[in-house]
Amino acid sequence: MKWNIPSLKDLERYYWRCTACGTCRTAYNYGPPPVAKPICPAGTEFGFEGFYSSKGKAAFARGLAAGVLTFDDPEFLEAVYKCTVCAGCQHQCQVDFKPYIPEVIEAMRREAVNAGAGPMPLQKNLIQSMKNYNNPYQGPRRVRTDWTRPFKKAKKPIKDINKEHAPILFYVGCTGAFNTAARAVPTATASIFQKLGLDFGILGENEVCCGSTAMRVGDAEEFKRVASANLETFKKLHEERGVNRIITSCAGCYRAIKKDYVLATDYNEMMEGIEVIHTAAFIHRLLKDKELAFSKELPWRITYHDPCHTGRHLNTFIVDKDGSQLWEGAYVDMDESDCLYDEPREVLQAIPGVELVEMERIRGNSYCCGGGGGVMTGFGEWAKKNASLRIQEGMETGADKMVSICPFCHYNLNEGAKSIGSDIRLVDLVEMVDQALGG
Amino acid sequence: MHYMFDEEHVDQGVLKELRSIVGEKNATAAKHVRFAYSYDMSFVQPKMPDYVVMAQTVEEIQGILRLANKEKIPVIPFTAGTNIGGLCIPERGGILLDLKRMNKIIDIDTESHYAVIEPGVSHGQLAEALYKHKLRFGWPVGPPSASVASCAISHGIGGLNARYGLNSQEITSMEVVLPTGELVRVGSCAIQENAWHSVLPMPQLDGLFKGWLGSTGVVTKLGIGVHPIPPVLKVFTVSCSTVEDMYSYMLNLSNYEICDDLTAVSWWLAQVPIPYPYRPKPDGAPEWFSFANTNSFTEKEKEARVEIWETVVEEETKKGTSIKVTQYPEEALRARTQLPSQIVGSTKNYCKMAGAGISWPGTFTPAKKWAPVYNRWKEILINANLSPSVRMSMYRGVHYGMLRAMIPFNKQNPDDVENARRAIVDCLKADLDEGGLPYKPPVDFAEQINQRAHPGYLMLLKRVKSMLDPNDIMNPGKLGI
Repeated sequence: MKWNIPSLKDLERYYWRCTACGTCRTAYNYGPPPVAKPICPAGTEFGFEGFYSSKGKAAFARGLAAGVLTFDDPEFLEAVYKCTVCAGCQHQCQVDFKPYIPEVIEAMRREAVNAGAGPMPLQKNLIQSMKNYNNPYQGPRRVRTDWTRPFKKAKKPIKDINKEHAPILFYVGCTGAFNTAARAVPTATASIFQKLGLDFGILGENEVCCGSTAMRVGDAEEFKRVASANLETFKKLHEERGVNRIITSCAGCYRAIKKDYVLATDYNEMMEGIEVIHTAAFIHRLLKDKELAFSKELPWRITYHDPCHTGRHLNTFIVDKDGSQLWEGAYVDMDESDCLYDEPREVLQAIPGVELVEMERIRGNSYCCGGGGGVMTGFGEWAKKNASLRIQEGMETGADKMVSICPFCHYNLNEGAKSIGSDIRLVDLVEMVDQALGG
Repeated sequence: MHYMFDEEHVDQGVLKELRSIVGEKNATAAKHVRFAYSYDMSFVQPKMPDYVVMAQTVEEIQGILRLANKEKIPVIPFTAGTNIGGLCIPERGGILLDLKRMNKIIDIDTESHYAVIEPGVSHGQLAEALYKHKLRFGWPVGPPSASVASCAISHGIGGLNARYGLNSQEITSMEVVLPTGELVRVGSCAIQENAWHSVLPMPQLDGLFKGWLGSTGVVTKLGIGVHPIPPVLKVFTVSCSTVEDMYSYMLNLSNYEICDDLTAVSWWLAQVPIPYPYRPKPDGAPEWFSFANTNSFTEKEKEARVEIWETVVEEETKKGTSIKVTQYPEEALRARTQLPSQIVGSTKNYCKMAGAGISWPGTFTPAKKWAPVYNRWKEILINANLSPSVRMSMYRGVHYGMLRAMIPFNKQNPDDVENARRAIVDCLKADLDEGGLPYKPPVDFAEQINQRAHPGYLMLLKRVKSMLDPNDIMNPGKLGI
């Protein structure tokens, strides 16, 4: 399988389009009233230009291209990895660099890996784990199904799609499966599906990591390996098991399959007849079609945290490729219709008793939990510290709980809450839906 | 753009001392960090500092300046680096003093209508805070992260300049660390710790720190006047075919002093982004567009302004000028009254078509000279295949105004950068010859200014600089002296 993953050289003309204006560092709403808050976790933590948002990353890319900066310098290497690739800066940028910002950051990391320097030491463990175990958590294959035990015990086993037909593949993802704190996410998802009587199955021990983390830390080869395997699996499941829909509750997996996998030259052929959907969007659809109704009241005051991977990472950028509209390579517009901003909020507001109170930085301006881009693995303390900033923002709304749709956010924000002794807890949307369905 | 950096002068002993002042993680000589401070949007050749330091307190700044003064190391104050004159690019290496973490809004006096801020407070941050009290300031067209204090002390412009003058004219008090490390205050806060209301009636020592491009000290606190937001907005818009007609209209209207902002832009600037390279204006399209912002507290007050404006238009029509009343798109109207960074007319949008570069001849020029200077600029810029994308604004009545051309260029190509630099400097020469003066000037401009300067002015400038900064450590070289 061939992949069109650009090199830093391929992206040179785009990072030269950064004006160094600094618009990228502020989550800004025009108003009135105007809102202006920090948007860059790395800039917030490390402060120096270079760490800050897309302006800083363009500087690094230019320095690399000019040969002024090299990965022989361990401090520079580390600086390239001290970014959550949250795309907050991308959301603010207005120039032709905009559509390519996360790509430039990741292309620098791919350069680092190709140079034998990257990723960071703890991230190397992650990659090695993927090679050894097909997951980044050094988890043995059999542990991948530990979360299903209660279902077996309750005599409600989950279908093994390797052996049985089902139209829906529930793609669990490694974080939900191996991170014990985040296991509530797959558990609730499967519970909802059973309550709704859906015919679904899982790959179980045969599930292979989506490759998101490998891609984020710059190991394109490892990403390609697992992504190719998954695409082949999906095609086979479609042909042999009747799968026509892949549902995932993991923002990282969703982003990878929706946005990274399309870099495969034969993506369309491999995925023909298969819809990929996030659980939040799927539940929203059922709700709109009146195929789902909540029976239990949850008297909670909640605030919703938009994960980067289900929000602005799913922006579609309209670029004038041939110069027929504006000029060649011009950024024309941004389409947010694939971003899951409204769907989770509408589901939450449909749950009886729920009061939704918003933070100041939401939707495209959402402040990253701090765990993305390999940061949770590479720089755990910083990830936790950043999460505590987001938790504090949630606390300012007076909410009892914060809700999200990403196991990474689930784990990291709860760690952040614990680190500052906050009572607020992160619950996943599926946990709430599961409870509100009763039964 | 090529990066050619001189030999480095990093002294580990100095770095250690800097770290002892601001903490281990707030001072660095790491090349990648220094590189990120080596360039900006402008045509100014990149140059690297030797150290980058982030200070958070006045005491830290004093410590840094005492060290720098003792060791004779240059210090370049920096907040957001969003100027387009290379003002924070170190001419001679040294310590890049990043102030963005000094970002506290110390006070908003809602009765006396002033705010006291640290240098790292951004326009976005202040806009958000002031709005809660229904107060405003003159927001410039820069990004929301740009520094309020840097803009004000560098004689930057804003959206209330027709009414209140430059943003530097809003300064009410200052606290400054001198290059030798002493802390000084000017204005009312010099006499009473918590009084920040005015720089008058005492001798205007604030002039020692305004317009000096960070070469006389580091401002650590700034008082600025802020104003109520009159709720009724009315923007008057006209177009015309010649710069002479536009000047006539603006002069007439400005005499009534009813506008918060009175601006005209040439067709090329109105395009957003500015066409790059130059392309001719379509036949029949107006060459000039003007917007005049007025804010009123009541409908009756607005009606009085409307009456004045209608009289002006009638008078200009009777004169036989080409002035025509126009309608502005709603989005553009919004951008005229609020922090405009993500809308039309912001710096980044101006230069989108060219790539990453933008610079200007940005000047204060007597309004009566706008027409001859513009006509000369048009020749120079079109000859260089650049758009004559010019803005003219009246400031605080009619006696002075802003005349500037925003010139985008492709920063990836050194020849394009040099072409723009040459044309811009030629434009500046033409303006200086007519009595104009550049603001936030790059070194190339300073040299032109100094060539024309009265010898007594230069002597005084050098004497003041030498008195405040005996070892010439503060942003050395920027004034061209």
